[in-house]
Amino acid sequence: MKPWTLQRLLLTLLGSLLLWAILAGVCLMLGSSGQFAWPDDPFVRGERIRIILLASLVGAALASAGVVYQALLRNPLAEPYLLGVSSGASLLSFVWTLPAVSTVIAIGGGIYVGQQLAAFIGAVGSMFLVFGLASRRGRIEPVSLLLVGVIVNSINGAIFLLLTYVVKDPATPGGAISFLVGGLQGGADVRQVRIAAILVALGWILLLLVSGKLNAAMLSDAEAESLGVNVQVLRWGGLLLASLMTAAAVAVSGPIGFIGLVCPHLARLLVGNDQRKLLPVATALGAGLLALADRLTASLVAWHWLETVVPVGVLTALLGGPFFLIILMQSQRRGAA
Amino acid sequence: MSDILRIESLSFAFGRSKVLQDISLTVTSGEILALLGPNGSGKSTLIRAALGQLRGHGKVTWQGRPLRSWSRRALAKLVGYLPQTPTFEPSSRVMDVLQLGRSAYWGAFGIESPNDATIVHQVAETLNLTELLSRRMDELSGGQRQRAFIGRCLVQEPIAMLLDEPSTFLDLRAQVELCQLLRELARQKNIAILMASHDLNLTANFADRICLLSAGEVVSQGSPNQVLTPEILTQAYGLPMQRIEREGAAPVVVPKL
Repeated sequence: MKPWTLQRLLLTLLGSLLLWAILAGVCLMLGSSGQFAWPDDPFVRGERIRIILLASLVGAALASAGVVYQALLRNPLAEPYLLGVSSGASLLSFVWTLPAVSTVIAIGGGIYVGQQLAAFIGAVGSMFLVFGLASRRGRIEPVSLLLVGVIVNSINGAIFLLLTYVVKDPATPGGAISFLVGGLQGGADVRQVRIAAILVALGWILLLLVSGKLNAAMLSDAEAESLGVNVQVLRWGGLLLASLMTAAAVAVSGPIGFIGLVCPHLARLLVGNDQRKLLPVATALGAGLLALADRLTASLVAWHWLETVVPVGVLTALLGGPFFLIILMQSQRRGAA
Repeated sequence: MSDILRIESLSFAFGRSKVLQDISLTVTSGEILALLGPNGSGKSTLIRAALGQLRGHGKVTWQGRPLRSWSRRALAKLVGYLPQTPTFEPSSRVMDVLQLGRSAYWGAFGIESPNDATIVHQVAETLNLTELLSRRMDELSGGQRQRAFIGRCLVQEPIAMLLDEPSTFLDLRAQVELCQLLRELARQKNIAILMASHDLNLTANFADRICLLSAGEVVSQGSPNQVLTPEILTQAYGLPMQRIEREGAAPVVVPKL
């Protein structure tokens, strides 16, 4: 039995980085040219690198948030999109950009930080609403959580649609629609992406710092406490951090579903359920796979499968939906056993 | 033998419903104190209050220091706790369960020291778990699984263990083996054990003392011989009981039907 040493942590981080680099390398060779080849044109290469890095940032944030939600809620189906956290972040992020709101805020010059903050408030607001409605006597039932998540998602979606009608903003691709189905082609603002990167990086380091405690948190509260973990502080701190990271990602991409669900489960197949290994590997997978999904959506146009580039959130939902059903059936079987 | 756990005049209520009333007891190093009593008598609540997971009125001290002065982490290095139904990931291995018991000793990023691995191996050897270390928890028998959970407590290097009905889901043989193991641990490692149980006769054979609870109050406290009398048991369980004496062995108590 090998103890979890600093060397093993660094090796895992290095391995995760390598995993991401391989996926990113593949992504670099995919694009609207439709050919699987290294881009010789510096402009095309630069553009692809930019979008791969952006996708990686968003994917990493969503996947690590998924790891944390699943561990702290002891629910294999938990992820930011299904719990309504992404749609809450997206809604408030959208509200922030409405002419009436942004004009007022722009006077203070805080539009960039402000949108992240609005997204965070939306994420946390939805999180509290979902957890509050789904918990009974301090226990959160997995299926109730999902049902409430679905309802909150649809309420957030309805408010969004209502607002788009009120402000008469047509839902065009890359525009307001990207708040409903996330994508990476909209040309996110560089300053906003930088802020998101800083928030995600800080949140991720803090989560890795407590990743050992996340292992204990998957036990019952009483057992985790007896192993020296302050469960309440860890749970709420972890959920808030994960929501902050989700909000930072959603503010630049819109809500992208299922990355937070699929990547932790894929990583579990590779390294097991030790959160100390799972967090880096799932993050790398999230970063790499979202970039890959985005490149595939671009390639679909070149291959004449589609006439225009669809938001990557459409593809992740198409692929992630069936995956979700498999996990749901597995957890129901386990519950029945 | 010194007092490891001392509880004085402890009361606890869930809302208006009183669960524990004026409980006092001590557990000394190397002894097994069994908590007996009907369902709802407050055994599990008492254990959780002793761990500080439920805040009651009264005084709880560990090694002479008030409970509140212990950090969670410091207390985790002192006391092992096993609930009625311990949680485990079905796919986790025995090794993972034992390793997790050391989490209070881990550093930032969950970094382990070489000593953590040594302790895990020592405990696995003590509990005959070495062969099972790489086995999945859901492949083990109830007895093996319970030994793994006892192992999770032991790797904490505790001076006390609080066990909530540890033999509940075990067959007779596994129950006896578990109680023998606990007695060995108490004697050889000088661990103070507070164990809730429903099995009067098994307890009579393995516990040094018994604290009998009913409706949140101590009905009787003392040696098995003193506590397991028909009068006291009838008072606690509301059921006529009879006692069968055995020469050179603990008495047997059964309901008078």
